[in-house]
Amino acid sequence: MTGMRGLSVFISDIRNCQNKEQERLRVDKELGNIRTCFKNEKVLTPYKKKKYVWKMLYIHMLGYDVDFGHVEAVSLLSAPKYPEKQVGYIVTSCLLNENNDFLRLAINMVRNDIIGRNETFQCLALTLVGNIGGREFAESLTPDVQKLLISSSCRPLVRKKAALCLLRLFRKNPDVVSVDGWADRMEQLLDERDLGVLTSSMSLLVALVSNNHEAYWSCLPKCVKILERLARNQDVPQEYTYYGIPSPWLQVKTMRALQYFPTIEDPGTRRSLFEVLQRILMGTDVVKNVNKNNASHAVLFEALSLVMHLDAEKEMMSQCVALLGKFISVREPNIRYLGLENMTRMLMVTDVQDIIKKHQAQIITSLKDPDISIRRRALDLLYGMCDVSNAKDIVEELLLYLSTAEFAMREELSLKAAILAEKFAPDLSWYVDVILQLIDKAGDFVSDDIWFRVVQFVTNNEDLQPYAAAKAREYLDKPAIHETMVKVSAYILGEYGHLLARRPGCSPREMFSIIHEKLPTVSSSTIPILLSTYAKILMHTQPPDLELQNQIWTVFKKYESCIDVEIQQRAVEYFELSKKGAALVDILAEMPKFPERQSSLIKKAEDAEDTADQSAIKLRAQQQPSNALVLADPQPVNGTPPPVKVPSMSGSVDHESAAQPHSQPNGALSKVEPQTPSADLLNDLLGPLAIEAPPGAMPTEERASTGAGVPDAVDGAAIVPVGEQTHTVEPIGNIAERFHALCFKDSGVLYEDPYIQIGVKAEWRGHHGRLVLFLGNKNTSPLTSVQAQILPPIHLKMELSLVPVTIPPRAQVQCPLELMNIRPSRDVAVLDFSYKFGTNMVNVKLRLPAVLNKFLQPIQLTAEEFFPQWRSLSGPPLKLQEVIRGVRPLPLPEMVNLFNSFRVTICPGLDPNPNNLVASTTFYSESTRAMLCLVRIETDPADRTQLRMTVASGDPTLTFELKEYIKEQLIAIPTGSRAPAPGPGPVASETQPASPAVTANDPGALLAGLL
Amino acid sequence: MIKAVMVMNTQGKPRLAKFYDFQPVEKQQELIRSVFSVLCSRPENVSNFLEADSFFGPESRLVYKHYATLYFVLVFDSSENELAMLDLIQVLVETLDKCFSNVCELDIVFNYSKMQTVLDEIVFGGQVLETSSSEVMKAVEDISKLDAASNSISLVPKSVSGWRGR
Repeated sequence: MTGMRGLSVFISDIRNCQNKEQERLRVDKELGNIRTCFKNEKVLTPYKKKKYVWKMLYIHMLGYDVDFGHVEAVSLLSAPKYPEKQVGYIVTSCLLNENNDFLRLAINMVRNDIIGRNETFQCLALTLVGNIGGREFAESLTPDVQKLLISSSCRPLVRKKAALCLLRLFRKNPDVVSVDGWADRMEQLLDERDLGVLTSSMSLLVALVSNNHEAYWSCLPKCVKILERLARNQDVPQEYTYYGIPSPWLQVKTMRALQYFPTIEDPGTRRSLFEVLQRILMGTDVVKNVNKNNASHAVLFEALSLVMHLDAEKEMMSQCVALLGKFISVREPNIRYLGLENMTRMLMVTDVQDIIKKHQAQIITSLKDPDISIRRRALDLLYGMCDVSNAKDIVEELLLYLSTAEFAMREELSLKAAILAEKFAPDLSWYVDVILQLIDKAGDFVSDDIWFRVVQFVTNNEDLQPYAAAKAREYLDKPAIHETMVKVSAYILGEYGHLLARRPGCSPREMFSIIHEKLPTVSSSTIPILLSTYAKILMHTQPPDLELQNQIWTVFKKYESCIDVEIQQRAVEYFELSKKGAALVDILAEMPKFPERQSSLIKKAEDAEDTADQSAIKLRAQQQPSNALVLADPQPVNGTPPPVKVPSMSGSVDHESAAQPHSQPNGALSKVEPQTPSADLLNDLLGPLAIEAPPGAMPTEERASTGAGVPDAVDGAAIVPVGEQTHTVEPIGNIAERFHALCFKDSGVLYEDPYIQIGVKAEWRGHHGRLVLFLGNKNTSPLTSVQAQILPPIHLKMELSLVPVTIPPRAQVQCPLELMNIRPSRDVAVLDFSYKFGTNMVNVKLRLPAVLNKFLQPIQLTAEEFFPQWRSLSGPPLKLQEVIRGVRPLPLPEMVNLFNSFRVTICPGLDPNPNNLVASTTFYSESTRAMLCLVRIETDPADRTQLRMTVASGDPTLTFELKEYIKEQLIAIPTGSRAPAPGPGPVASETQPASPAVTANDPGALLAGLL
Repeated sequence: MIKAVMVMNTQGKPRLAKFYDFQPVEKQQELIRSVFSVLCSRPENVSNFLEADSFFGPESRLVYKHYATLYFVLVFDSSENELAMLDLIQVLVETLDKCFSNVCELDIVFNYSKMQTVLDEIVFGGQVLETSSSEVMKAVEDISKLDAASNSISLVPKSVSGWRGR
């Protein structure tokens, strides 16, 4: 390898290049040269070949594509002499990857070297396979590699490579290491005296037990023996002693292997292990030599992990926490870093949180460490250890740190502070304080979710409103405030500013002028909010103040011709509305309360944690019920008291609730407000749907289709002819289509006719669901005799809250429906709904979108997770296969989308055949709990109308139902062509005389009718 | 599993890059650049750990060590122990030191092939193969001997043309 002068000259040339362009020219020249030489093989001596290959590799490392020479490289593998063979192996394993077709051609040549007698060749071949061997290699070479590993005649150099080579083959195709038989071999391998071979074998064992620990129980005592041997430094040769420590890598790997066994049952083994662990925990000190420190602490931290895993006695745990407490304050930064990281993991262990809390001050100090890696760990730890008892301290520290933190951390910091403030707020006024401070200090990093949420809280808690308004007013006095602060304070002051009217600086006029000062600084998304605020200020100014009115009107006038439609519309409408005098008070009444919902922020955080492998926070969240604030839905019909804490009001806040118009909770009948502050706000906060235009405003085509008899005047009831009873009310839009659409999304319109619109908004968590029905009266006269009854199939438990008998004109009523999935079934729940409009009795039966796929949670599996499950579910009834014909032909990517749309995740790359799809999902029901379902679709590229489907899960019913469900989706995807289904239309009750008695108790029969 | 081993100098020039998950050339260069951009901004006397999730995917960890004009970097997943990986960098450097007696950047630049061989004897397919630097030396010397033997045989008759070629 030395003395390749050509290579050195080339490297020198490259080094002498002044710029990238020169370098590229030199490289291109060299590549051209090599290419020519490869073509003219006669002049190519082994030495030259080797030289060129090293040049190619050097060029490759510099970042240039070397796209030739692959065939030459592969062909060299079979060369008889070492230099050429070596060249072949080196270049092949650097330039090719496992999916390269040339590589597959090489399997036999590689095999010849592995089974040959030449150890040098064996090493070359094993290295290639270990680095880039794929599935085919696994299938053909595994027995030979196994033979080398257990051979007593092979040198350790070959055997240790064979062990790691086998590991690679096992990863590529877990089937190749048959469980029976190999476990005994593995056990024998652990008796190995050579520490090099033992280290490689231990890595192999880690891979095997991580896949299936059951088969390798017999290896457990051996691992403990190895640890004892190393800990006592028995029979450890000098070359494996690293800075005085007997092979730290082997110690670490062995303890890692032990962590894949769920527990250690044999008391003797357990005792021996704990003795070793105790020795490691107690016998490690921080010393001067950095390398020795690193090595000894590598062992120590692994021992800590193992102790946590084994769930040792409390005494030992406290000992660990004490150690960690020591580590987080040492000088050595690596140990501080790992101390914090392991303390975060320690949070998973029960009963030690209180000991960890004692170190809070030190952890907070780490938040100011010069090393950003350490600061991040400290932030994670503080976030994880936060609960009601220390939330105030921690969040205030985070806010303090926010002012000095660098940009890279601010986003994460503000998000975590917001989540903690919401989860653990001791009182709501504190929560409002925190969020406003956050917006003030790091407005750029505060997402809309965060300020929407604070608005929701304030709206739903009357006691909080004067306080929030006063705070918002204070922030407006600051010279430069973030736009988000302008939004939130303008919104709050618009709604609740009048509660402050008697305070100095809070008269409507002053309020308007201070908000209006900010208008020139904000973007067009904020102006609509300001306009609404002005309108509300105007509305609250009693008696009217003409000068203020003129000022505000001037603003409205100015924006009447604004290019932004949202701004323009508001300006025009507010201007017109504000001329209506007293009626304005009704129109611009206070916003209704928001329905109870989970914080999108917390949900986001939880989702992120779901993907994380080990999440202390999540685990702990399961142990202790979250203190998260839940938005109240103080609905009288439900009779449930709002679970919101009442903020402790500071004495300085005036209680003016008497002067405040009582807001009506959402659940009760509230006026539908035609004007809301912001379109975004409306969508994001109010969620469901606004009542659409009254029939009078319907597009003419639609009106025509509804038939001549439909009342199209605003006061419909008055003009309905007496003989109208036989008239059939036509639904607007296609009911079946609406239902199918709702099967794939969680909010939308379920049903609409000229009088009523029924919207649905659903939330699903595990096997529970909450569906809110929004019943909106589109007319100016009331809907009466409203009745809603749920006909649940036997697999669903459903509870609908009371539905009011009358829906007043233009009002919207919300009816929550709680449901629980008992077991897998494709049956559908039906809502039997009827109302009277004038003399018209309307009855409709609507399928509710509480269908099977709503209880699925997407889950993406890796090959290591998927295949063992797939294999363990063997044959019917758990695994069912069916060839399906008459499938709607879909290109594969569209089929992937289809699966994803019903929450069955495609796991790309698991099936080597590109025409096949492998997918997985989790199904939730009370009987099955969370159950993993696996699906495989084999398509026929020649005939897209047929495919073979295999579905597997741990429950026979589930497997069957899921298979049938997917089949339905594949065969008939709901399209517009299915529209004219006459059945499910709402029909005036007279035309459906016989139905109620029979169908009411028999959803099955009813369904049959519907479908 | 170890995902990548990189050696680069303090100007960001790669001196060795080995990826155990296949990465196309452009991606390799991009990763080297992004790692360097973070490394060069780190002060001395801080920890040897970096967050690597944004470059190498979730659960990725990165340790590095700074020697004179070189950074040695190891990227790996959660199945490895961070400090043990740091020790492995030390083993690699100590072995190189034995190979070149007082290794410096130039040794590595001009003996690129030797460094590859050393690395292949320490890390194998993303797993730790050997941790004893004397064992690694033994293996590397065996290969060098074979190499030298073959060179001397093949070089003699071709020496003239080889000489002209330079």
